[in-house]
Amino acid sequence: MRDNTTPAGNPLTGIVFAEGERPVFGPGDKARILARSPIGHYRVPTYMRGKLCTVEKVIEPAAVDNEEEAFGRNVGSKRHYYRVAVPMSEIWPEYKGPATDGLRIEIYETWLERVST
Amino acid sequence: MSAHDHSSPHSEPAAPQHGGDYEIMETAVRELLVEKKLIGPGEIRRQIEVLDSRSPALGAKVVARAWNDPGFKVRLLENGRRACEELGISFYDDTQLIVLENTATVHNLVVCTLCSCYPRPVLGLPPDWYKVKPYRARAVSEPRKVLEEFGTHIPDDVEIRVSDSTALVRFLVLPMRPEGTEGYTEEQLAALVTRDAMIGVVTANTPTESA
Amino acid sequence: MPDTYQFVKRLPNDIGGLQADTVQQTDHVLLPWEKRCHALADVLDFHKIINTEEKRRGVEALGAELVGKLSYYERWIVAFANILFEKRILSPTELALKMDEVAARPRD
Repeated sequence: MRDNTTPAGNPLTGIVFAEGERPVFGPGDKARILARSPIGHYRVPTYMRGKLCTVEKVIEPAAVDNEEEAFGRNVGSKRHYYRVAVPMSEIWPEYKGPATDGLRIEIYETWLERVST
Repeated sequence: MSAHDHSSPHSEPAAPQHGGDYEIMETAVRELLVEKKLIGPGEIRRQIEVLDSRSPALGAKVVARAWNDPGFKVRLLENGRRACEELGISFYDDTQLIVLENTATVHNLVVCTLCSCYPRPVLGLPPDWYKVKPYRARAVSEPRKVLEEFGTHIPDDVEIRVSDSTALVRFLVLPMRPEGTEGYTEEQLAALVTRDAMIGVVTANTPTESA
Repeated sequence: MPDTYQFVKRLPNDIGGLQADTVQQTDHVLLPWEKRCHALADVLDFHKIINTEEKRRGVEALGAELVGKLSYYERWIVAFANILFEKRILSPTELALKMDEVAARPRD
């Protein structure tokens, strides 16, 4: 699979990217989904809050924060979503199925915090 | 947070045979928006035609093409939307598409716990059960039990991957090609692919099942 | 004190992982007005009059009781009306008068 985070060929040097233009996380990065509780609108389900995850894929293109979009903001600064993997046993301690079972979900950049391993 | 629910219904209230006050409201809102020239008079009719042109038959063609054309399958798994566009399927709702391949070791299942995100450009509108509480609440916490309720048994040595659709991306499951379909044409293969197989709640039909 | 804040911070549609019944494989062919309502949602999003995320927020803002009692497209059309009021595109009386006018038409 092509990795969208790495430009093909030899990239030119000296280019400065706009805030939020480049993804902060990449495939394989460990992160924690934050455990905050916004009201009004959100797209991070309660059951995923605070869980450790592994970034699987950067979702292109970058997008406006859906929490702001929900109140009519259609343009503005954009950041990336990341498809992250979380084992079922991390989400549901009492999960009865095989340890390999897992969940995938797209999380907006502002909801992820890097975890050093 | 208590585990028992305080808010949502156990089942969807059945829609009445006509919309009553809600149908009147829909007509009134639409006509007011047209009178104010915020939407064009033919736009709703046109969008209904768009919706009517999308059904699981499109998704089945995508799957059948992937089964018969290894190059297409590679492109489909790399960028689902672009590969579908190659076949002329437009993404009118501006979503992206990730195609999830089922294999001998991985079974994918798609759900939207927060609402009813669904790959509408490729599959049409979702069935009612996809939009109501039992499936949405349980597919993420006890997927194997939910699959059993659809008559699907996934052995323990096969990993279950549940994708909870929450943002811009929609998901289409690429089921495993059934045995005994060597030499099948795309049309014959497409006939084995059901909507539910592309959501991941069942496997593709075998030639005997659909005979 | 009862913990009422849980009802504020958990939106009515945030149901992943809650206990629920066995899945019944229900479906129905959309009624003509339901399909028009779906097409309306798409067109409102195309023009960014009401984007898809605003529609979702509008449904959640109906609150748990209405979300539980209304059917899928009933929730949508009521949410659209409320959002159009908020945006001052429609006024409540304007919509009420138009609804009276529509209701007075002969039904086919």
